[in-house]
Formats: sequence, C-alpha cells, structure tokens
Amino acid sequence: MSDPALLATIALVAPAAAALLLALVPPLRHRGAPAAFVCIAGTLVSFGAAIGLLVGRAPGAEEVRVVVPWLQAGGRTIAEVGVLVDGISSVMLAVVTLVALCVQVFSVGYMHDETRRGYGRYFAYHALFLFSMNLLVVAPNLLQFFAGWELVGLASYLLIGFYFAKPSAARAAVKAFWMTKLADMGFLVALLVLFVTTGSFEWTAVPTTAVATAVTLLLFLGVMGKSAQFPLHVWLPDAMEGPTPVSALLHAATMVAAGVFLVVRAHPLFELAPTTGDVMLWVGAVTAAFAACLALVQTDIKKVLAYSTCSQLGYMVAALGAGSAFAGFFHLGTHAFFKALLFLAAGSVIHAVHSNDLADMGGLRRKIPLTAATFGIGALSLAGVPGLAGFFSKDLVLTQVEGRAGWIPWALLMASAFLTAFYMGRVFIKAFLGAPSAKAEHAHEPGLAMTGPLVLLAVPSVIAGLFGGTLAHFVGAEYHTHFGLTPILASAMALGGLAMAGLVFGRGREVALMRTLRSLDSGSVVDRSWEFLYRRVMLGVSGVLGWFDRYVIDGLMNLTGYATLESGSAVRTLQTGRVRDYALAVVVGAILLSLFGVLR
Amino acid sequence: MPPWLHIFTLELAVLGIALLVLLCDALSPLGARALGWLTAIGLVAVLVASFAVELAGSAPHGVYVSGAWVLYFQRLFLCAGILGVLGSIDWLETRVARRPAEYLVLLLASLVGMMLLAGVRDWVLLVVAFELMGIPLYVLCAYAKLDGPAREPKLAAEAGLKLFVTGAASTALTLFGLALVVGASGSSSLDGPQSANVSALTGVGMLLVLAGFGFKIGAAPFHMWIPDTYQGAPTPFVAFLSVAPKAGGLAALVVVLLSGWSRQHELWAPALAVIAAASMAVGNLFALPQKDARRLLGYSGIAQMGYVLVALCARSEQGIAMAIFFIASYVFTNFGVFLVVHAAAENSGGHSLDEIAGLSRRSPWLGAALLVFVLSLAGIPFAVGFWAKLFVLLAAYQAGLVWLVVTGVVLSVVALFYYLSVARSTFMADGRSAEPVRSGLPLRAAIVLCLAAVVGLGLWPGPLLAEATRAASAFAGGP
Repeated sequence: MSDPALLATIALVAPAAAALLLALVPPLRHRGAPAAFVCIAGTLVSFGAAIGLLVGRAPGAEEVRVVVPWLQAGGRTIAEVGVLVDGISSVMLAVVTLVALCVQVFSVGYMHDETRRGYGRYFAYHALFLFSMNLLVVAPNLLQFFAGWELVGLASYLLIGFYFAKPSAARAAVKAFWMTKLADMGFLVALLVLFVTTGSFEWTAVPTTAVATAVTLLLFLGVMGKSAQFPLHVWLPDAMEGPTPVSALLHAATMVAAGVFLVVRAHPLFELAPTTGDVMLWVGAVTAAFAACLALVQTDIKKVLAYSTCSQLGYMVAALGAGSAFAGFFHLGTHAFFKALLFLAAGSVIHAVHSNDLADMGGLRRKIPLTAATFGIGALSLAGVPGLAGFFSKDLVLTQVEGRAGWIPWALLMASAFLTAFYMGRVFIKAFLGAPSAKAEHAHEPGLAMTGPLVLLAVPSVIAGLFGGTLAHFVGAEYHTHFGLTPILASAMALGGLAMAGLVFGRGREVALMRTLRSLDSGSVVDRSWEFLYRRVMLGVSGVLGWFDRYVIDGLMNLTGYATLESGSAVRTLQTGRVRDYALAVVVGAILLSLFGVLR
Repeated sequence: MPPWLHIFTLELAVLGIALLVLLCDALSPLGARALGWLTAIGLVAVLVASFAVELAGSAPHGVYVSGAWVLYFQRLFLCAGILGVLGSIDWLETRVARRPAEYLVLLLASLVGMMLLAGVRDWVLLVVAFELMGIPLYVLCAYAKLDGPAREPKLAAEAGLKLFVTGAASTALTLFGLALVVGASGSSSLDGPQSANVSALTGVGMLLVLAGFGFKIGAAPFHMWIPDTYQGAPTPFVAFLSVAPKAGGLAALVVVLLSGWSRQHELWAPALAVIAAASMAVGNLFALPQKDARRLLGYSGIAQMGYVLVALCARSEQGIAMAIFFIASYVFTNFGVFLVVHAAAENSGGHSLDEIAGLSRRSPWLGAALLVFVLSLAGIPFAVGFWAKLFVLLAAYQAGLVWLVVTGVVLSVVALFYYLSVARSTFMADGRSAEPVRSGLPLRAAIVLCLAAVVGLGLWPGPLLAEATRAASAFAGGP
C-alpha cells in the first residue's frame, strides 16, 4: 500500500476503532470520561493522518486509488471498497477532522453536566459519525459513498435524538430521519439506474446524456434532503434539538455539506447534464433567499444559525448549478470553519445563560468577552465583510452565478447577502450588546476546553479566504479574482446590512417586513404542506392499501400458514419412535428407488 | 516407505494424535481437560500443516487420489474435529470424567475415516472408510448411557441403537447394491460402466447405493434416525454428528455420482432431485411443530441437506463448488447453534425450546450468537448461510431446474417461521430459567470460532468461494 493510501486508511480506521471500542466495551462507555478520551484520541490520530496527507501531497499530483474487491459474482467485481486520495478528498478530510476535533474538545466542557452514561454514549456516537463521514469523503465509488451517507444519517438521527426522553427531541430525530430518507430514495434509485446502464458505480462512469440527467436529478434529490434545500429543508431547524456541539459539527459544518461534496465529487457526471445544473441553480438561489428571510425572525439563537446554514448551503448548491464545483467546494470549506465557530460560540452563550432564547441574552459582551469576540468574528465572516474568509468564497459564488438564467438567481443571492448581514447583525446586537437580561447577570466565561476550540476556529474563519488560490492550485481548479461589479456590490451589501441592523436593532426597533415574515414562519407553510401530504394523501392511500393487506393478503397468508402448521402436525405421526419402523422406512425408500430405476 | 505414503500425511497425523491420547491415558490419568486440549492443539497443528504440505498424488491402482478437492474437505473435517473436541471438554469433565480418552480416540478415529472419504476411488476402500467413520459414531451416541443424569441414560442408549439399526440396514442395502454393480462390471473401481444405458440389475444396484448414501447424509426418506438420535446423544457430540459425517457423505457422493457415474445421470439425476425435494419438504414441515431444540435442529438439518442435493442436481462444476461451499457454511453454522443450545441447556437442565426462551437475558452474548446462527441457517443476509443458499439455488437455476428452485424458495419461507420463532423466543420471551449461563473456556472458544466464521464469511465470502471453486475444478479435471 502506498503512502497516501496508508494515511487515508489510518484516518478512516482510527475513529472506527474508537467507535468499536466504545460499542463493545460497555465499562468504557458507562464511565464517561474514558469514552471522551478514546473518542478524541481516535479523532486526533485521524486529524494527524489528514494533515500528513495534506502536507505530503504535491499540488495537482495524481490521484491515489487503492481498492479491494468487495462484492463479486460470476467472476466479475460488482463493487469495491477502498480509499481515493486526491486534492478534494485530502482537503475535505483535513477540514472534517479539524472541525470534529474542535467540537469534541469543546464537548468535553459543554457536556460535563451529563450523566456518565450519557456522556459515554455521546462520544460513542461522535466516533461513529467521524468514521462514517471519513468513509464517504475517501469513497472511491458511489456505493461506498452511499454507505457512508446512510451511516452519517444514522449518526445524525442518534445525536439529534440524544435527549430522547424529551418528546420534541425524539420527534425531531424521527423527522430528520424521514425527510432525509425520503430524499435518499432518489440516491438509491440513481445508484440502480447508473449500475444498470453503465455496469459500474464509479465516479467516472459515463452514461448517455438522458441517463446522466436522470441520474443526476435523482442524486440531487438526495442532496436536497441531506443539504436541507427548499422544500426538504424543514428537518434542519428542528434538528437543533440536539446538543449544540452536534449542531456545529453535523448540522452546520460537515454532514449537511456532504450533499455539496457529493456534487463536487460526481462533477464529471453532473457536467453531462446541463438541465440538472439549471435546476440546482434555481433551487439553491431560492433556498438561500427563503432561508435568509426566515433567519431574520427567529428568536432562538440556534434556529437563526440553522436557517443561516440552509441559506449558505443554498449558495453552494447555486454555485454547483452554475457549473463551478470549485466555488461550491471553497464556500463549503470556509463555511465549515465560521459556521462551526458560530455554533460553538452560541453553545458557549447557551452554556452561560442556560437558555436558547435571544430574549434571555443581551449585554453579554462584558460577561463573556472572548465568546463575544469570537462570535463577532464568525458573524462578520458569514456576513461577508471584505477581507474575512466568507467574503472571498461568497464573492466567488456570486461571480460564477453572474448573468445566469437572466440574472435572477444572481439577484436573489445578492439580496440574501444583504439579509445575511442584516440578521447576523440582529443576533449579535440582541445577544451581546444592550442591557443584560435577568438570566445574563450570572453569565461567566467557560473553561479552556471550550474557549480553546473557539480561538482555534476563529483563525481560519478570518484567514481561510486568502488561500483560495492555493486551494484551487491544490485541487487542480482555476481561480481568478477580479474587481468587477459583483465584489463591490457584495461588499456594499454586507456593510449595508450590518449598518442597517445597527440602525434598526441598535435602537430596539423593528422593520415592518418582519411582521409579515413572522406570520409566515409561525404558519410554517412548508411544514404544513408536508404534513398535509403525509396525513391526508399518504395516510389516505395507505389506509386503502392497509385494508386490502389486512383482509385479502393477510387472510390468504394466514390460511397458508395454518395449512402448513396443520400439515406439520399431521405428518408428525409418521415419526413413531419405533426403531423397526425406521429401518422399514429405509428399506421401503430403497425399494421405491429401485422400482423407479427398473420401471423408468 | 512406499513412495505414495506421503499423500496420507494428514490422516496419519490424526491417527498419531489418537495413539498419543491413548498412550497418555494409559501411562498417567491426565483428566479430560488436559487430554482435550492436547487433542485440540494437535488437530490445530495438523490444520496448519495442511497449508504447508504438498499432497498431490495417487495411491497404486488409483484407489486413492489426493489434491485440492481432498484438501478442501480434510480442512473442513479438521475444523469440525477441533470444534467438536473444544465443545466436548467441559462436558467430558463434568459428566464422564472417568473415561475421556476413549471418547476422544473414537472421535479421532471417525475423523480419520472422513478424511479418507474425499479421495477414495475404489469401492472396497470406500466401504472401509465409511465404516471407519460410522462405527465410532454408534459408540459415541450411546456414550453417556451410564454417566448422564437420571433421565438421560435410556435416551442415550436409544439414540445409539437407533443409529446403529438404521445404519446397519443402510449398509446392508449399500453392500447389496454394490454386489450388483461390481458383479456386473467386474471391477471394484469407482469408474462406472462406459455406456449410458446399463442393465436393469446394475441400475437397481446403483440406486440402492444411492439409498445408502441417503442414510449417511440424512436425506429423506432415510432420515428417521436423526431426531431421536440427536435428542438422546450427548449434545456436544451431536454438534459434530450433525455436520461432519454429512460432509463426509457428501464428499463421497459427489465423487461417485459426478465422476464415477456421470454417464448414467439419466438414471440417478431424477431420483436425486426427488430425494432433494423430499428432504426439503420433510425437514421443514416436520420442524414446525417441534418443541425440543435438538429435534428441531435435526429436522432443519435434513432440510439443509436437501439444499445441498439441489446443487448436485445441477450436475455442473459450478454446482459442485456451490454444494461444497454450502456444506462448509453449514458446518460452522450448525456446529455453533448446537453448542449454544448445549451451553444454555447445561445451566437450565433441559433442551426444550421453552428452556432456551429468554436466553438473551441470561447471557446476552449467547443470545446474540444464537440469533446470528439461526439467521444464517434461515439464509438472511449477511450471514454466510445467505450466500450458501443463494449460490445453491443459483446453480440449480442455471441448470434449468426451475421446479426445484421454486420448491426450495417456498420451503425456505416455511423455514423462516421456525427459525425466527427460535430467535424471537430467545429475545422476547421470558424463560423458565433466569440463571445466568456459565460455560467453560473451551466451549466459549468454540462458539466464538463458529461465530467468527459465520459473520466473517458472511461479510467476505470471496476467499472460501474461490477455494471451493478451485477444489471443484481440481475435481472436475481430476480423476
């Protein structure tokens, strides 16, 4: 095994070993602290391997692909498992493991009030998640990717429902599972279509244009579920029921970005299907704008961030739809850092005031200055203030979308950029400025385990944007900065949004638009439509089918089962227990066979 | 030393272990545990050695031919022997502490008989190997007739007697059939007549021999000894009895039918198909109302052998490979399930399904192991039994035996019922006994080995499949 493949395997095996150890050795899990140690050790090894991979890799070097056959039939290998190391996967691996490491260390502090068993369970799930995520990142074909994809879905379900005694958390977990599973049907069918038409699950499979369009549209359905695109986004805000570090890792930085990563990976396939590209461009732009509107009226700090995540994923999808895999991937990377930072800082706030509600915060900048500073950096980066990470990647996305589909998606994204700055300004003002609320009086800065990751994540949130060119060179893409209309306008939007937020919320006022939006949100139109689809349409149809199944199919089945059991009891009398009967049976059998031979 | 003696290296080594055990027992009373471990380690050494030695060749007059085919089976028998010894050690120590050596020696003698079977190409040697395999089994069945708990001795004697009487009847039939076949051809070689059409007498002889094989592998209608014997004989031994002799019978049956009598397939193939279908039907239907785990597994074993015969009916190289893949899967799975039943019964005192119910609460590990084995027997992915069943039915389908495939699939649905009801009662029902299960290290080791094989081969069937294909092709190109 060559060197990069070995490192990638280590990155894959370390969290798997941690997860197995925690699953199979209950005392380790039940005692809590050792579980955190095992999990973080696994992540650290994985991170080290990922960094080794990144450093040891020359820009634009050949991809390394090491696979072993997995399913074989009729002398043909149907599927392989292994690792694929190239620019994209090594960068993604580094991002995922770095964020996971920060989040897990943060969790040590954040979760310390948990029971020991809960603590252990939490870290066991984390180890499972990291293995699954790495499995899909290094997947050499779509089938292994799908395995990782479903496994991260499982980890997400388990972690959203971590407080399973709380009904809302249990419901949110089930909702996330169902929505993503619905979308995954598309992925599954896409796999089948691809295999039937091309006979392989490879990334490089080349079907006809019609098939490519079908496959990519189906794949995109899966992406819409996983990456929370309108109208399948409804599970993501509810997923905030999970512990905040989980929201940071799974539902902001990594797992939800898996959908975007899939499109980046399967880019050769998507290039064959321009129709899918247009669909993605529109879905992405609409999601970005729609979610940004809803983010504006949330009162729960995590829900603001959740809608903001939807919105930013919309940017990435739009960039991919415009045919620029690199822009999407770049935004994925920077977003992973600043969104994880924002969530962890929000976690620190929640930890300090024991509430998610913005009304319970206020004036926290004096109580928890470090958290306020890091949250501020994340917010500015997300808003796209020039010079910070978010500015560069968002600008690239906007530039790529320029002029597509009659400038409308571009305009939507530009408006979203304004809204993004506006709602982030609102959150920052409400949480950190102004007069402290009753609950904020006793807030204090958390320990090093929590502040350390914040500072660590703040660094790339500021500077990651400067490495766009390096990254492009590394993964073999092209990256040009230019000073046209778009960057100037985007900067203006960011600064304008922030200024507007200062003017409006700094004085405790509201804009008229927000009332409309709030009624839209409380009406939760999209949720209601899904509910209608489920309760009226699906349950109605299944009621009819259920009747047919219960009385016709089951009746027949029961009859068959009854007859089989009866015949079993009836033939039983043949087994008399007398040895002479047994010998007789042997002889009679032999005679029958002989007769058969003679008379044939 | 004759130049061909080396092809019997493995058999001689096992014989050597048997003599060593006898010698140790005669010189100083070592006890069941030490002798058992000695035997097990010896067999492991032979198994390891089987990968290191070159054994191709044939004995004078072609009465015995060694090669990949023989090695495949010999390794399987050695695995079964190791598991059998490990599974028995605790039982020997607690129940028959006074004479463990004989038990082990008889087991090894039977093992030597099996190891000879796969390479045999001569009728006389075949009968001798069959009896060498069979006679120790009669003794072992009744081994606990004096030492067991008050209720069981009679059952043990009955088990031995039933096996012996039906076995004797079958041997008599086989010998009579052979007299007709060999008398007509004038040669004791396994190679049958050249022409496809044989005289009626020879035909009858062949079918009588087939009936004798039917007894060895426990196919319907020669199966009636199975449930009673399994119920009465010592359970760790039944685990061995339920798999190893059947694999031995299969090895010889493949050689006889698909090499020796391949030209007369129009005579035996329909009969074999009927036996296969009858075994699947009888095994699965009789298993439904059973209340005793051992009887249930006995009937399920009859059905499983039906599936093996389905693969033979395909009469193709692929079919042979699938049949021997199936039997390997069956060896590990059935061994495991019997050992779990044994471990559970040793602590609750009974083998009825009621007493196995709730096993997962008494021992989560054993409960999980039982579930895996039962799912494998039922053919659920991704236990090895799934691949085995799939491959067998696939081979039959490709040979155009659609009616057999349909029969097999329908009856495997019936089988699901009783397999899953065992699984359900393991986890869901409250058992009669709540005592935690305590079992010795060797027994646990044997169960873990079976579990590892079933799960490992289920996830990664490739290597075994390749090995089976190689053995089958060596066989088809061979004798």
